[in-house]
Amino acid sequence: MTAEIIRRVAFLPVTLFVVATLVFLALRALPGSTVDLLASQFATAGLRDQLIAELGLDQPLWRQYLIYLSELVRFDLGRSFITGKDVSVMVGETLPVTIELAVASLIVMVLFGLMTGLAAGARPGSWLDGTLRFIAMTLFALPWFWFGIILILVFSLWLGWLPAFGRLPSDVDYQAVTNFVLIDAVILGRPDLIGPWLAHLTLPALTVGLTTSGMLMRLARSGVIETSTMDFVRTARMKGTPGGRIFFRHILRNAALGILTVIGLQFGAMLGGSVIAEVVFGYPGIGRMMIDAVLTRDYAVAQGAALVIATLYVFVNLATDLTYRWADPRLRREPGR
Amino acid sequence: MTQTLDAQNKPRLGRAGLGKSLTRWLGLLPWAIAVAFLSAAALAPLIAPFDPIAGVGAPMLPLFSDGHPLGTDGFGRDQLSRLLFGMRPMLIVSLGAVVIALAIGGAYGLVSGVSGWRVDWAMMRAVDILMSFPLILAAILVLAALGPSLVNLTLAVAVSQLPIFARLARALASGEAARDYVLAARAAGFSPLHVMVREVAPNITRPLLVQATSVVAVAALTAAALSYLGLGVRPPAPDLGYMVKEGQELIFIAPEQALLPGLFIAIFALAVSFCGDQLSDKQQSGVGP
Repeated sequence: MTAEIIRRVAFLPVTLFVVATLVFLALRALPGSTVDLLASQFATAGLRDQLIAELGLDQPLWRQYLIYLSELVRFDLGRSFITGKDVSVMVGETLPVTIELAVASLIVMVLFGLMTGLAAGARPGSWLDGTLRFIAMTLFALPWFWFGIILILVFSLWLGWLPAFGRLPSDVDYQAVTNFVLIDAVILGRPDLIGPWLAHLTLPALTVGLTTSGMLMRLARSGVIETSTMDFVRTARMKGTPGGRIFFRHILRNAALGILTVIGLQFGAMLGGSVIAEVVFGYPGIGRMMIDAVLTRDYAVAQGAALVIATLYVFVNLATDLTYRWADPRLRREPGR
Repeated sequence: MTQTLDAQNKPRLGRAGLGKSLTRWLGLLPWAIAVAFLSAAALAPLIAPFDPIAGVGAPMLPLFSDGHPLGTDGFGRDQLSRLLFGMRPMLIVSLGAVVIALAIGGAYGLVSGVSGWRVDWAMMRAVDILMSFPLILAAILVLAALGPSLVNLTLAVAVSQLPIFARLARALASGEAARDYVLAARAAGFSPLHVMVREVAPNITRPLLVQATSVVAVAALTAAALSYLGLGVRPPAPDLGYMVKEGQELIFIAPEQALLPGLFIAIFALAVSFCGDQLSDKQQSGVGP
């Protein structure tokens, strides 16, 4: 177990290094890259050359790569070509927004996915099971952006219950400290921030959470069905253990592991999915920042955002894997598995 | 395990003869829908009433207008024609991407699984690293590098689906590689290439194809999402994902402009997922080797 943890953690820098290299290659080394794209934006030749020199794009590729890596090690992500703002500052402003959204989506996904999955798995083949499976399938096949628009239409335009755009109303005076609204509300003693923040968070979180819950629902369902055919469940039944106790103490505890893994993996998917939800709802997270940067060819920003999202994803996956191993006593006891 | 479960469930599912035949007919529905989409997109130039790019009527005509059953958009372009033509990028990209991902990922996994040992280890770590990207992010990066176009969109979606096929093919191939017939072929002195292509490959093709069917839905949704983000087909050309984006700006006046193209995407994705599910259910109920 310890050896496995060390092996996984030791592999982490390798993964991060390759991720950084891939991002570099994607944005700089491919044909039609930054220089030409910039040239199309900055008309005069003098300005163009000056800019290229300033960005170090006149250097040979290997040299650029070394500069890029040495800057990365110092957490220097460069400056926006367009606004001149420090990319690491921009990331500091947008990443908390995305993490908030991903966590809220995860809560929606777990609540909905688990409840429907366990309900369906408790009576496989029943009317309820069929209906829930159909709902899960439909939610899976809905384009996220479209589902988001339907939610806007129903809850913002028709019912007028929830706001459709942004993170906080523009008339709220919010001086960010950590950029996590919930934490800032505590630090600054501003409980009035929480209500509007939650109202803005609800629709994006429902969009991402519900559309990703299908996978968890399926897994929870099959986990419960599979576990209930095992010998220890039969034994418990023969001993006359009440059904509820069997379900919660025997079946659920054993099915929990697979469920846990899916939750971790899906959290990573949510970081990607929040890109789309952020664009639909005009939510100022790192995903939207990246898309805007890609569309305006602001490569330093796109590169920084991609690196940060990928890094976070790598860490979440590692954490999931380790939690999984820690949570399963069978894996803990068997070294070298 | 699955078989015993099925045996337990069967009497509950098909309660009466009527229900059984109804289920069977319902099972054909997703296939019919998928075929209808493919033929409508293929025949779009013949069946679309108008040019999808030219303004042909008054702008913003509502649904059920005379001559424009689905109305017109902000530029006076016929929505029905745009929807028919707009299905083409989604279908081309999803099918093309799945074929590419299946071919490259399948071959990669096959080599990895049959080779075993260090080659296998190194090849799978490479896939792990690709998987350490959120897949939509990988697709966005590919498009950022290559620029938005139909071909690049296909490549980007293919890249995002590659690891799935590589992993599945590797798992299947390494399972087959331990079997007697592969050992026999090796002992008989056939080359590794022959073993891979002639012995192992035929035995892993079917599960890979089943997986491919399930992946078409994911690929279509990914393609539509990337188009929605503005990374797909260039604007005047119709595309369902981008039509949702354009329609979203008109959501106060004419919500159907965003809802209809999205509905088309959803129906196609749903139909294809049901097709994929049927195939994998059939496979799991143990007909194959």
